[in-house]
Amino acid sequence: MRPSHLSLLKNALIASAVSAVLMIPLIGIYTVQETGGLSIKTRFPEVSLAVLYVFVGRFSIDLSAIGKTPLAVFGGLVLILLGTISAESNSLLGVAGIGGGAVVVLLVLWNSGGSGVQETVQNHIQKVSAWLTSGRQSQFGFALIILLILFPFFPFTDRWTLDLAILVMTYVLLGWGLNIVVGLAGLLDLGYVAFYAVGAYSFALLAFYYDLGFWVCLPAGAALAALLGILLGFPVLRLRGDYLAIVTLGFGEMIRIVLINWVELTKGPNGISGIPKPTFMGLEFRRRSTEGVETFHQFFDLPYRSIDRVIFLFYITLGLVILANWFIKKIRTLPIGRAWEALREDEIASRALGLNPTNIKLSAFALGAMFGGVAGTLFATRQGFVSPESFTFIESAIILSVVVLGGMGSQAGVAIAALILIGLPEWFRELEHYRMLSFGALMVLIMAWRPRGLLSRRSPTVVLHPDQSKEKPIGLANGPS
Amino acid sequence: MALLEVRNLTMRFGGLVAVDDLSFDMESAQITSIIGPNGAGKTTVFNCLTGFYTATSGSMLLTAGLDTFHLEKMAGYKIARDAGIARTFQNIRLFPQMTVLENLLVAQHKSLMRASMWSISGLLGLPAWKRAEFGAIEFAQEWLDKIGLLNRANLDAESLPYGDQRKLEIARAMCTKPRLLCLDEPAAGLNPTESRELNQLLNDIREHSGVGLLLIEHDMNVVMEISDQVIVLDYGSKIASGSPASVRKDPAVIRAYLGDEYTKWDGD
Repeated sequence: MRPSHLSLLKNALIASAVSAVLMIPLIGIYTVQETGGLSIKTRFPEVSLAVLYVFVGRFSIDLSAIGKTPLAVFGGLVLILLGTISAESNSLLGVAGIGGGAVVVLLVLWNSGGSGVQETVQNHIQKVSAWLTSGRQSQFGFALIILLILFPFFPFTDRWTLDLAILVMTYVLLGWGLNIVVGLAGLLDLGYVAFYAVGAYSFALLAFYYDLGFWVCLPAGAALAALLGILLGFPVLRLRGDYLAIVTLGFGEMIRIVLINWVELTKGPNGISGIPKPTFMGLEFRRRSTEGVETFHQFFDLPYRSIDRVIFLFYITLGLVILANWFIKKIRTLPIGRAWEALREDEIASRALGLNPTNIKLSAFALGAMFGGVAGTLFATRQGFVSPESFTFIESAIILSVVVLGGMGSQAGVAIAALILIGLPEWFRELEHYRMLSFGALMVLIMAWRPRGLLSRRSPTVVLHPDQSKEKPIGLANGPS
Repeated sequence: MALLEVRNLTMRFGGLVAVDDLSFDMESAQITSIIGPNGAGKTTVFNCLTGFYTATSGSMLLTAGLDTFHLEKMAGYKIARDAGIARTFQNIRLFPQMTVLENLLVAQHKSLMRASMWSISGLLGLPAWKRAEFGAIEFAQEWLDKIGLLNRANLDAESLPYGDQRKLEIARAMCTKPRLLCLDEPAAGLNPTESRELNQLLNDIREHSGVGLLLIEHDMNVVMEISDQVIVLDYGSKIASGSPASVRKDPAVIRAYLGDEYTKWDGD
């Protein structure tokens, strides 16, 4: 039986009542600094407007459910109109009205389009994600690399964009590293930021105390982080799931607190500045070098441009990302990669097949940590400054979100998720304090829409081709995306 | 010399004696079945043998050529890797989200890991590694062919029907190239056709691979038809052992497990 209009009205009223209860304390009351202390003020007109939005929105969506599409679209348009009017007095209410109205209109059209439209869209999404995880996208990957190589020379590319691109790629590295531990080996690590910190601080300290440069510290940072990964691995070998998560969480905090409190070595909360930039074959990117040493632009007889240094770091990062992609794709198809996945799937069965869980877990921790260390070194040189503040738990959470949103075990998915989670919030800086709100909303949306991550399809590490299977085994798949 | 000699194996959980002073021998290329009522300690014997439990006392000696392995002193994964004991589980334990072929390749981890030089030559793609991988896939294919899953090699293991999952688990265990294969209720949940196919598969393994088979089974059709030796457990102790025919007539076995109507069973 179709719901009557009366019951629709009832639904909409209930939704409004719920939103009123929520919004009276959240929006209706606020504090103002006045002489003599804080005083409480109210803004109930805004609350009633917001409640009205909810009423109209809910009613329109319900209308579309009983087939009254035009009326429902009209409701959405009313919402947009209300938003436009209120935008002048209150920008947030404006955004909420227009955005909400747009969502209502889209939702109504989506519902009224029937299963045909929905299926087509779903099909396309399926196809794209199948293709992205099929390993057949090598041409696309190649084009992407060319595009990225040319990226610094696009007309719209300025220093800020380049810097953001380096940051996003750093998170891609972090995401891939954590993906080995969480996505492949199935070990939930909430303290991954520790390895990021170790990479950054080992570069900072080696540069500060021993005057070592980027190219020495990059492998050193990676190696130290990997070593720490093994050290962390030992005590947590017997733990799984929630318990492992708690211990790794503690471990991440320990590293940060050591960095804060070991003031003699790390200068504590003040951090370490003056971390050197990478050099090109020993040539520095500076306007004037220390005496007797040529700089990059002098050597090549170019005019000095400060952006060259950023472009160079961009290329280093890009190179490392490409290398990491190759490495992880390859290692996933090797016995060790399959052993990681087997351990994730069923540890008891793995042991019964003679796999040594200790070595396999430690190798996953070590390799995952190594990428964290590399990313940390890049971070240190990009910022020129490290302090413990950069390595709080929220960092671990963001990296984990990148992995989970991207789809555990999927390389391309993680890269896309890094772009969305790191790139978009930077682009949307204009939203100011609603930035993190929209960040959260985005994560909720992705998880509601694709609960297993953007690209959740796992591509097999080895494929038997049906036509040839009678005679001989063949070919390995190109590996994961 | 017997392949496996179990002497005075005892396993206690607190006050409960799950396995009580059990001794038996078994040979290569023979099928030994352990039967008994639920809770008799059959799976506990398996878990002791394969290192999932550490036996309270007793010894388990596996002899292969000049090598002898004291199983009671070895870690679980080493028993599988070095002594060569493979097992399947009462509740199937495949790697559900990996493909059928991948399941069989994981089982060849030991030799593949060595061939990939702990990933170094694998990363470089050296010819020796490629040959080894090719060989491993070929070996897996042989087994897929044997269990009739060749055309489903690329499907996820979890998508297979129950009976095929059972067979795949056996094939996976065989891909470790074991000396002794322990099967925990391989016929559980199989229909009569599948159960017959299972008998064929187990006979085939006995005849062609020379592996010793130790199985726990409730399906008397399977047990009586293919076993060379039957061991009957009740409350953790051995109450009878010998050929299927002799065990079937043993009054103690009938009382504890088989029941009266089973004496009329004529072997078809």
